[in-house]
Amino acid sequence: MNQVDTSPNAIPNVNLRQVGKNKPRNDSPTKVYGKAIYAGDLIMDDMLFAKVLHSDRACADIKSIDVSVAKTLPGVHSVLTADDLPATNAVMTDMPGQVGGGTKNTKQPILAKERVRFYGEPIALVAAESYELAQRALDLIVVDYEDTEGVYDAFDAQKPDAPIVYGNDNIVAAYKVRKGDIEKGFQEADFVLENTYSSQYQEQAFLEPEAAVAWVDEHDILNIRSSTQVVEHFRAVADALGMPHNKVHLQAPYVGGGFGGKEVMTIEVWLALLAMDAQRPVKLKQTRENSFISHGPRHPFTITHKTGVTKDGKITAAKITLTSDAGAYAKLSPYILLYATVGATGPYRVDNLWIDSTSAATNNLPTCAYRGFGTMQATTACEAQMEELSKLIGLDSLEFRRKNFIQTGDPNATGQIIRSAVWSDQCATKAREALGDKPKSTEHTVYGHGLACYQQSYGRIRWMKDTSESWVGLEMDGTLIVRCAVTDIGAGQMSALAQIAGEVLGVPMEEITVYFGDGHVNPLAGTSTASRALYMTGKATELAAKNVRNNLFECMAEYFDVRPEELDLGDSKVFVQDNPERCMSVKDMAKHCAAQGVHRHSLEIYRAPPSEGLDPETGQGEVFPDFTYGAHAATVAVDTDTGEVTVIKSVGAHDVGQSINRQAVEGQIEGSALMGQGFALSEELILEKGVLKNGSFSEYLIPTSEDVPEIESIILESRSGLGPFGSKGIGEPVFSPVAASIVNAVADAIGTRIHHLPLTPEKVLTAINEEKTKEAAE
Amino acid sequence: MLPRFELSQPQTLPEALKALAGGVGQPLAGGTNLFPDLRGGREKGDTFISLSQVGELRYIEHTDNRVTLGSGATISDILRDPQMKIAAPALVAASDIFAGAMVRNAATIGGNVCCGSPSADSVPPLLTLGADVTLASASGERTLPLDEFYLDYKKTVMKPDELLASISWTPPTPGSAHLFYKLSRRKGDAITITGISVLVEAEGGKCKTVRIALGSVAPTIFRAHEAEGMLAGRVLTSELIEEAAQSAAGQCKPISDNRASAEYRLLTAHSLTRRLLRQAWKQAS
Ligand SMILES: Cc1cc2nc3c(=O)[nH]c(=O)nc-3n(C[C@H](O)[C@H](O)[C@H](O)COP(=O)(O)OP(=O)(O)OC[C@H]3O[C@@H](n4cnc5c(N)ncnc54)[C@H](O)[C@@H]3O)c2cc1C
Repeated sequence: MNQVDTSPNAIPNVNLRQVGKNKPRNDSPTKVYGKAIYAGDLIMDDMLFAKVLHSDRACADIKSIDVSVAKTLPGVHSVLTADDLPATNAVMTDMPGQVGGGTKNTKQPILAKERVRFYGEPIALVAAESYELAQRALDLIVVDYEDTEGVYDAFDAQKPDAPIVYGNDNIVAAYKVRKGDIEKGFQEADFVLENTYSSQYQEQAFLEPEAAVAWVDEHDILNIRSSTQVVEHFRAVADALGMPHNKVHLQAPYVGGGFGGKEVMTIEVWLALLAMDAQRPVKLKQTRENSFISHGPRHPFTITHKTGVTKDGKITAAKITLTSDAGAYAKLSPYILLYATVGATGPYRVDNLWIDSTSAATNNLPTCAYRGFGTMQATTACEAQMEELSKLIGLDSLEFRRKNFIQTGDPNATGQIIRSAVWSDQCATKAREALGDKPKSTEHTVYGHGLACYQQSYGRIRWMKDTSESWVGLEMDGTLIVRCAVTDIGAGQMSALAQIAGEVLGVPMEEITVYFGDGHVNPLAGTSTASRALYMTGKATELAAKNVRNNLFECMAEYFDVRPEELDLGDSKVFVQDNPERCMSVKDMAKHCAAQGVHRHSLEIYRAPPSEGLDPETGQGEVFPDFTYGAHAATVAVDTDTGEVTVIKSVGAHDVGQSINRQAVEGQIEGSALMGQGFALSEELILEKGVLKNGSFSEYLIPTSEDVPEIESIILESRSGLGPFGSKGIGEPVFSPVAASIVNAVADAIGTRIHHLPLTPEKVLTAINEEKTKEAAE
Repeated sequence: MLPRFELSQPQTLPEALKALAGGVGQPLAGGTNLFPDLRGGREKGDTFISLSQVGELRYIEHTDNRVTLGSGATISDILRDPQMKIAAPALVAASDIFAGAMVRNAATIGGNVCCGSPSADSVPPLLTLGADVTLASASGERTLPLDEFYLDYKKTVMKPDELLASISWTPPTPGSAHLFYKLSRRKGDAITITGISVLVEAEGGKCKTVRIALGSVAPTIFRAHEAEGMLAGRVLTSELIEEAAQSAAGQCKPISDNRASAEYRLLTAHSLTRRLLRQAWKQAS
């Protein structure tokens, strides 16, 4: 179901011809017919196949690595260990893309040398005539390890005698927020509630495991075709290899999902090394099992909320601590912690606020970017606390939220004033309405309703000065081309640009060709991460298309003898607005303008609003360009004999600013509903002393088609965002509240709360039984 | 990676039995257990005798008072057979939530029974049907109750030169209830934590026949004979059902693993046995 908000504060519907309409995406046919080429599909003459030796322990010294026998195996062309690499042996793991600064320059060894710090750390690379031979070579490599004492808990890692994994003290990052006067705030409170919530590792589980082919071409340029969210990794590959940036060419064909797992470099640098060494093309496709250890999963967080409220429901103070497990290397942990810190108070105004957040290194899997990027974990804790607070003061939980929602013009946790529309209330009201009545309990089934709201940024941290470029050109025959090196990771990134350029220039999106994913042919557009792809690349494309339109209108105004403002473009025609009979086809217009020497192309850059960073003592400052607001609501059934939870209905209601492609927005909401459900109920990487125990799809349980509830997408459009046509980012926002809503629904159903996710049947049954015992005792 | 192995593809049952008689090869049916195990290094065999071309093994037969499933019948075959809903309601229920569609199309009933896994979903319903298994070898056939087939974790009475030819049972009488419950961590494609099947046949207000089978809660799937004995011939009151469920749970020897703890398996074996017995009694009487 689609809905455009009709409330009084909605901006009236603008006259859009394609944007926001229910149009199939341009990439659908090639994908439906199985023609789309993914990174692992490429076959080249003389191609070799690679395998990677991953450490099977979490913390050990490497006494020796013996590759002598592996090297003699016929058909094996390259066997590399740290000894064969440039002495620096380091690859950048920091914020990639078109960021202009403000990063921390975090790095990680390309291959482990004297020590392995986590289970799965790469130790050796092999390229051979077949995967089978490469595997045999791996089996012949002898690594002599000596296990050493590791640390496997983010709190233990901060103790004085903890083994050191990172830096001098295992602290990867820390932030604080000091705002107002929390002592005073707590004094004003009628109730103070303190709770600790914790969440688990989650695996991205994208459809396409890491895959790439690398080769050195006739110009000595190192080419890599990879399944990545970031073509700008060519810089990090070049730096790691000590090469000039312009000698590495990285392209991303269609990508089978990323969810953050392909944000930091995965396998590209390994392949680059093998291709350079063997001087032959080399392909690597990770198996599913190895994929689990080839990128960083979601950070587990432990979050404590102490909140003061008045009896009529106003939050007077909050003291919040957040701790995340960064694993063995920093990767993006500092930024993810920052997102969690900003998101700790959700979409609520808290004037007296104290936050301490820490990310600590351990010998667990290095954690990294994953849809929601810390904000999601913070939201899950915050929304649980909101529900508990409303229960404590006996107020309806939406009513309670209403009293505290941030409004446009209010400051958020870091004092950033929110400029765009904040429709938390409208979204939450609609989401909850859509649930309808709660079913009546039966013999062994109880039902619950749950709601969660959020504040999730879109666009990157402002002091990184993110940019995106795009090129739009009108061909002689009136057809349109967009060139933009955005990576298409399956969310319709490429198609959206066609829709935007088509809207501005009056040409149907289906007729537009978009060249994407190749930053050496197309203008660099930055990453498909941080809910920024549509916002940034869409904006650059909109600007470029408008430039072209202005140039064309200048020429056509003369032709029609009107002012340029009197012209419009639509249905492949240019026409005079007041007299549409006076028109010309885009095809003839292109010819006419070409004859007049009109510049029919434009390359534009969009710069996200910058800022200068946070005050380190108060944590106050402008962190993000803007935020998306909305809500998710869920109905669950809980089996009181077994603790099994069934999600019956899942409703996402979000102010997306302006939907560019409605089907794509619905796709995001529906996908989120399941991904969040998995997080709430069944997904969890199990590590024992750092060793992954369930790295396969038979043990790591993402929802299946059988687990899909009825999902409803409610799309509200305030047209107040920074993106093209007032759109806001939605890829992460629509996901952030889902798990929280399901967790709240379970708490509603069973009358008690479980503080550690996921809510496995066993945990739920234990909670039900404890509650029964408690009630019996009372 | 899948290791290398020898594969023979007999076309007829006698050929297959002959190949098995050598004692070196192991039957390969749908491969949905074998291949993941081979790839994961849990299965070390390197010689396999494929049964997929042996047409004689893939059939479902309904005669007067007997149903026979060739061991090569797939889980999908069971679901496609319209009479099976009456001949084995709980087996249909188990098949319905068995793996996903792709695996159901390849997975055979024979492979499910023979793999000896405590979580094999077809086995509790077959046990409560009182099914017999017929084993064949080059030197002949023998038939025995499925209840006597399992010895220990992944150990059966089958000899290396034998294969499972068929499974047969007498369909439950019209008034009986035959139920299955699969408890798992998600709805689709999940390994069973606790799997319970119950059959209750009522006559004259009393429970004439009752069978209870429990899966995933001991090294093998087993019948709770003691509990059955407590109920047979009696009116199934709540108290009696509770006692029987307790007795059944008492026979469990569950382990803890990534999916659930032993305590949880025990608790749910108890509560689900109770639930299914109540439902079955209500439905049957
Ligand atoms: C994704 C997935 C999901 C699954 N879900 C379920 C599920 O929900 N429930 C469930 O119970 N199982 C499940 N399984 C396990 C498996 O599919 C079943 O056990 C299946 O019935 C095995 O049958 P098969 O024909 O594939 O056997 P195979 O893998 O070919 O063989 C299994 C074993 O039985 C032996 N064998 C096979 N046929 C015979 C015969 N006729 N005589 C003697 N020995 C024989 C083989 O030698 C082997 O040891 C799942 C497996 C996968 C991969």
